[in-house]
Amino acid sequence: MSDMHKLHNTKPGKVFDFINIIFLGIAAIITLLPFVYVVAGSFATESELARRAFFVFPETFTLEAYRYIFTSEAFIRSIIVTIGVTAVGTLVQLFFTFTLAYPLAKRQLRGRKLLINMVVFAMLFSGGMIPTFLVVQALGLVDSYWALMLPNAINPFNLIIIKNFFQNFSVELEESAKIDGATEIGIFWRIVLPLSKPILATFALFYAVGIWNDFMSPLLYLNDSSKWTLQLLLRQVTISSDPNALGSLDPDYIPPAEGMKLAIIVIATLPIMTIYPFLQKHFAKGLLIGSVKG
Amino acid sequence: MKAITLRKPEKNADKKSLAEIVKIMWVRDKWLYCLLIPGVLYFLIFRYAPMYGVIIAFKNYVPFLGIQASPWVGLDHFTSFFSSPDFLRLLGNTLWLSFLGIAVAFPAPIFLAILLNEIRFSVYKKLVQTCIYVPHFLSWTIVIGLTHVLFSINGGAVVDLVETIFGVRINFLAEPQWFRPMIILQGIWKGTGWGTIIFLAALANVSPEQYEAAIVDGAGRFRRIWHITLPAIRPTVVIMLILTMGSVLNTGFDQIFLMTNSLNRSVADVFDTYVYNVGITRGSYSYSTAVGLFKSLVGIILILTTDFIAKKVDKESGLF
Amino acid sequence: MDSLRKRGVYSLAGLFLLFVLVACGGNDGTATNDSSGEGGESGETTLINEITIMAPTFETTAPPADNEWEQAVEAFTGRQLTINWVPNVSYEDRMNVTLASTDIPHVMVIQGKTPGFLNSAEAGAFWELSDYLDDYEYLSQYNEDILRNASVNGNVYGLYRGRDIMRSTAIVRKDWLDNLGLDVPETIDDLYEVLQAFTHDDPDGNGADDTVGLIIPTWYGSLDTLSIWFGAPNVWGYENGEVVPAFTTDAYKASLEFVKKIVDEGLVNPDFTTLSPDDWNNAMFNGQGGVIIDTYSRAMQINNLFVDETGSTDPEEHFVEITGTIRSSDGEEYGQPTDGYSGFLAISKTSVQTEEELHEVLAFLDQLSSADGLNLLNHGIEGVNYELDDEGYLIPLETPEAAALKPYEMGQISTYGEGMHTMRQDGALPQKRYQLMEDNEAHAVYNAAAPLVSEVYTTRGTQLDDIIADARIQYVAGHIDEAGWDSAIDLWYSSGGQELIDELNELYTEMN
Repeated sequence: MSDMHKLHNTKPGKVFDFINIIFLGIAAIITLLPFVYVVAGSFATESELARRAFFVFPETFTLEAYRYIFTSEAFIRSIIVTIGVTAVGTLVQLFFTFTLAYPLAKRQLRGRKLLINMVVFAMLFSGGMIPTFLVVQALGLVDSYWALMLPNAINPFNLIIIKNFFQNFSVELEESAKIDGATEIGIFWRIVLPLSKPILATFALFYAVGIWNDFMSPLLYLNDSSKWTLQLLLRQVTISSDPNALGSLDPDYIPPAEGMKLAIIVIATLPIMTIYPFLQKHFAKGLLIGSVKG
Repeated sequence: MKAITLRKPEKNADKKSLAEIVKIMWVRDKWLYCLLIPGVLYFLIFRYAPMYGVIIAFKNYVPFLGIQASPWVGLDHFTSFFSSPDFLRLLGNTLWLSFLGIAVAFPAPIFLAILLNEIRFSVYKKLVQTCIYVPHFLSWTIVIGLTHVLFSINGGAVVDLVETIFGVRINFLAEPQWFRPMIILQGIWKGTGWGTIIFLAALANVSPEQYEAAIVDGAGRFRRIWHITLPAIRPTVVIMLILTMGSVLNTGFDQIFLMTNSLNRSVADVFDTYVYNVGITRGSYSYSTAVGLFKSLVGIILILTTDFIAKKVDKESGLF
Repeated sequence: MDSLRKRGVYSLAGLFLLFVLVACGGNDGTATNDSSGEGGESGETTLINEITIMAPTFETTAPPADNEWEQAVEAFTGRQLTINWVPNVSYEDRMNVTLASTDIPHVMVIQGKTPGFLNSAEAGAFWELSDYLDDYEYLSQYNEDILRNASVNGNVYGLYRGRDIMRSTAIVRKDWLDNLGLDVPETIDDLYEVLQAFTHDDPDGNGADDTVGLIIPTWYGSLDTLSIWFGAPNVWGYENGEVVPAFTTDAYKASLEFVKKIVDEGLVNPDFTTLSPDDWNNAMFNGQGGVIIDTYSRAMQINNLFVDETGSTDPEEHFVEITGTIRSSDGEEYGQPTDGYSGFLAISKTSVQTEEELHEVLAFLDQLSSADGLNLLNHGIEGVNYELDDEGYLIPLETPEAAALKPYEMGQISTYGEGMHTMRQDGALPQKRYQLMEDNEAHAVYNAAAPLVSEVYTTRGTQLDDIIADARIQYVAGHIDEAGWDSAIDLWYSSGGQELIDELNELYTEMN
């Protein structure tokens, strides 16, 4: 493929390539730098953080904040809990979403419109925090990890996009499988899903990030502090700059050290950030979905 | 609404015999119905069962009393919202920000995804992708902290730069006319990279043969983008646009709240910050639910309208 | 089943049945909640076996259940405890959800008179305690003013968590004062001179005109403090038999003119309309300005930055000066106090149903208000967290064991009382702080409306506050003139301010 490109790359094409590469490079730097600062700051001393508004390398290197985090049992436990809940929760949510999206993509299905209406309606109207809590409580899910996964199992927005992807799925492939005697569940499991890797990867990412960053569910549904996730701890340290907390702070409250804040931000975001590069390889493999009308 | 939508397809089916219909539903599609079960149960239990909660918009809800025992107030919350002297200003500010967002911030990830798709060094492409999606993970507090560093009238780098080039010293953070551009700019910086993911997933479905065939036909770079790349992401763009319309009155809270100050409040107040001030800080779940209902109603009208237009333009696109 | 339509109707009906069933399941939750007021949750009519408490935590380390500290409290009181720790962020949401649920703890920490709390209190969620407190040895030793401040129009719905009364001070860079040979300012006129000198006389000696006097961020507490120092009421005053808002008084206007003058003369940071409060300490530490008006805790934070920078170990050395209350130009002293409390402990009527049960809970809290109880809650376990020296001063221990218990914050459930151990005040700055706090208390100007909870304020308070807060900044920044300020006050009156004043006056008369 790259040979073909080279063969036919015209002069304006080359200029375009050059500008494109430079432009994207600048975009990458502009977007990455602030995070680099957060990482650098987590290794810096308090006075340096106060003195310098922005830096990429700390003058004095200290591991103080990380030492504290990694000697704290509660921290390590909440890292493990968060990773576990995110991994299982992503699978659960993908299961619920994809099993609903696939039949809804079948235009011949009776009642399909009603169900899609139901989804769109639920996207816009919600019962609110307290009634949802009461349902979760009635189901006996309070203090259970399921409470962090099930109440948000299907994001209607995601569901509709996935359904639309499936609508473009090559019908011939499914028909030929049906002739071979496969049921719809078999086709879905053995043919459709393996060929939907970019979609699966995309929404696995969306759901994983969603669970990882979820703060309200653990706050409302978990009493047992040994089950707390990283987001609760992250919010605790950034509370002094949280607009929702302004004015409600105890006058005796002493904000945590700036370096500690940044270190916890790093710990709470870095693991989830690294899954994108990991999922990227699946983005190029879904070549059989949707023959595009040129 | 439910009854109507259910009846529609049946009209076409009237001519079929009962046997045929039962056959279709229970023989041909039974496995599809089986697949539906978990998802439908989810919606009934976690989305619809709590929905009786919206009646608190018509009550004076006190959590301790419970929904049933809280007193009815009818449309009080709605009338006090619509008759508030600030209502039109809030509506204007909210719509301004939303439509600026749709006009400027919505196309940005599409544009960026197309540019990324044109990069052929796959390592560089992946590197850039990974970098530009990082801001999504930074909280608004951090983003706004950095904005202050760059745009402060007291030694901010951008302010100094603008002064050197244009000879004027602009207080970007306080002057009301700069409020909206700043909000949109922050939104683009934070959300564009993340937004490209969905479009890149759509582009992953384009087979390389199509590009190769186009090259053989002598199609230049821009013709290939126009005839292959754009059509490939068009359904996704349309569906994203329709869904975005549903949240036109949601402008987000944290960002705007943190960027508001005494000098720009006249343009900065939007429904979300207003409801926070009146509803959340004042503990009035009923009031915020009432405003939420209004926003949802507007959202559903806009979604259906956009969907209708999209279908007129292209029968294949749209929600259903 | 004679047609598809029926089929569809059946399945639709089925779905709806399911929906209704589930919805009722949800409703049951609220229904039981309503009835449990009289009935029994689990037939708990005898004594309370285990006291449950809901409390906020500020720490990043989640307190584990039954940790050693909690066990020590259990041993001390002879009571089983379950503490439900809730992260402080969105504590309010969690509180409301808990109140709506079937499972309400016996004791809840309430962080302030938020409408969520007020609505529930009005609906009878909590015990009114004024008739009971005097029966207890330690709980009867409340500070009357603070109890009143913490009440809701005189109704005591909780045991207040006591706090320092005097906190406001100007914080001044000591090295700059020394460089210019200036004294610590004591009056507004002194302060003005210091601000002038810090702006124009190159206090950092770098030869550049790059400093200002006062640093003001977008949190405008400094302006409130200044107005009180000028002699204005503390938010609400009581003059000529009437409750009046502070901003209508002459002293308030004078303080506003003062701020406008120093802004116009360039003695204030030019970005005072946008500077984030997060960068407040840094602005002083970095030498952008030399004076901050805020609290003693901020003075300590800034001092610590200098200590960290210089590595100073001498407790007598300090880098910022504190002033306490700054006297007005005519020499009068008007101090800005706090309300003297930070939230309170309320007792649920749902889970604590009878007076006998209430007595048990109050007896438990009474024990914790004794000197030993307070020390246990606030300082931890003697011998593990701290030791006492020969004179009875507290010495915190720095062992890993002590450090492990420290974040469990049992102090969150401590209320008021006497007899807490204190640390020997080492160091010049803390000593001066405690001295100032003591000296200034006599001249504190209290908020006349602190215990009053107004309906109008509950629904429209934020907008009303914003009208004045915005106009104040716009006036100081020169965006509006005096006529603009006056019309903002008119707008305040017509947007509900007059109703608010009337309501407060009524409540004030009722209470006294």
